[in-house]
Amino acid sequence: MTAHTYFEEHLPLYAAGQLDGAQRAEIEIHLAGCPECRADLELWAAVSGEIHTANRPLAAPPALAEHALDQIHAPNRLTSAFLRTWQLLRVQALLVRHEMWPASALVMLMGVVVALLADRVNFIYFLAPLVAASSLAMLYGPENDAAMELSLATPTSPWKILLARLSVVSGYNLLLSLGATLLLLFIAPPGLLGTIILGWLGPLTFLSALALLLSIWLGTNQAIAVAYGLWLLQYIPFAAIGPWLDSPGLASAMAVYRQFWQSPLLLLLLSLFLIGLALWSANRPVFRLTSTPS
Amino acid sequence: MISYAVSNAITEKRPWPIAMAEPEYNVELMRRIAAREDMALCELYAAYGQRLYAYALRLTNEPALAEDIVQDALVIVWRTAGRYRGEGRLAAWLLGIVHHTAIKAMRHRSIPISDEMVTGLPAPTDSPETQTQANQQAQWVRDGLQSLSPEHRAVLELVFYQGLSLDETAKVCNCPLGTVKSRLSYARQHLRGILSRQNVEEWR
Repeated sequence: MTAHTYFEEHLPLYAAGQLDGAQRAEIEIHLAGCPECRADLELWAAVSGEIHTANRPLAAPPALAEHALDQIHAPNRLTSAFLRTWQLLRVQALLVRHEMWPASALVMLMGVVVALLADRVNFIYFLAPLVAASSLAMLYGPENDAAMELSLATPTSPWKILLARLSVVSGYNLLLSLGATLLLLFIAPPGLLGTIILGWLGPLTFLSALALLLSIWLGTNQAIAVAYGLWLLQYIPFAAIGPWLDSPGLASAMAVYRQFWQSPLLLLLLSLFLIGLALWSANRPVFRLTSTPS
Repeated sequence: MISYAVSNAITEKRPWPIAMAEPEYNVELMRRIAAREDMALCELYAAYGQRLYAYALRLTNEPALAEDIVQDALVIVWRTAGRYRGEGRLAAWLLGIVHHTAIKAMRHRSIPISDEMVTGLPAPTDSPETQTQANQQAQWVRDGLQSLSPEHRAVLELVFYQGLSLDETAKVCNCPLGTVKSRLSYARQHLRGILSRQNVEEWR
């Protein structure tokens, strides 16, 4: 004799039509003599009927598979961030003043030719920061960007636009200077390569950052004038101009000043600070508006 | 003996065959999904969408949430299709994913699965005089099902509508077989209690 609990457990399956012939027959025999199980069976049948009735009008919601596929094929967040950055860099590279690209390259090339002819490696130290500074002074502001108003109306914040242009143009300047340095290996021993790069890298970065910041604050022309002035100052032979400038105090001050331009680490740190200041300034409309079209 | 209505319900034609060997077609379908074939996922949804949605709706009682759950489940199916090798019925495997997704979604929305839901009885519907006795019965069963927790409703839906065995139900709900049995037993007592309180004489 099978226990009553056995039938109790199997009644739902019987009501769901899940039992085979032998099991069904076994249950039906028990049902005939067990009013409690008959009541249970009616209950399960009612539950089964209700669930089927409720589900019958249900249809699969349309296009859920398509939505799932959209979700599956959507680029994940990291990829889309890279994609957006790439687009920003590409668009901003197109918006930078076009004449800047060939002009910088041409000046640099001429410098290299002169250095090669004169057999003077040091010429690259002198030239690279100047080329870079002037290109960065023309990077930003209404006088340099016909689409400035349009750019500012987009959801991309000004500092991101500035950073994008800074990256593109500085990358270009670095490549130019590296290319020029490699050409100089015709007249310099290869062992000096690292020293030469380190020689112009610090001044180039600092002068670029300074020119960028001043162009945002004062305007392009003023930025170029100040940056060039500061750079050329170290090359002025004061003692040779006249005896009234030949003082020990001025000479030692100039020595310190020249030393400043030869400290790559200090220059790079100062550059970082200036770039941060420039990016912050780009978001301040007050600073932006001071450079009016000339 | 078994009344006509009951035997009718038992022998009722089901929308899909119960406990059959998994057809080669389904294994092939899952292989195509694992091979990243978009059409295969659409075919799977055409074949199983209604069942999966019905199950999600039974658990949540919210059509919008149920849709989200099925969509999320399809995304999981896409990612894990390679793990299905035809060792069990595809329907059970898919329902297991919907179950998991639904439980997670409901926990996220912090819908309490509490005693309140189990014991809180909905008010009887109005004007019983105007309803036929059969309608009243159906309404009480409907209310009784609503007053069960999602876990108990899940077991009933899987056994009575989805045609799953108790073992398969346990796998879908990710619980031991004994728990499925005790949930069925609890549901029976709970529904009986409601029906007897509603003074339905013949179910005493």
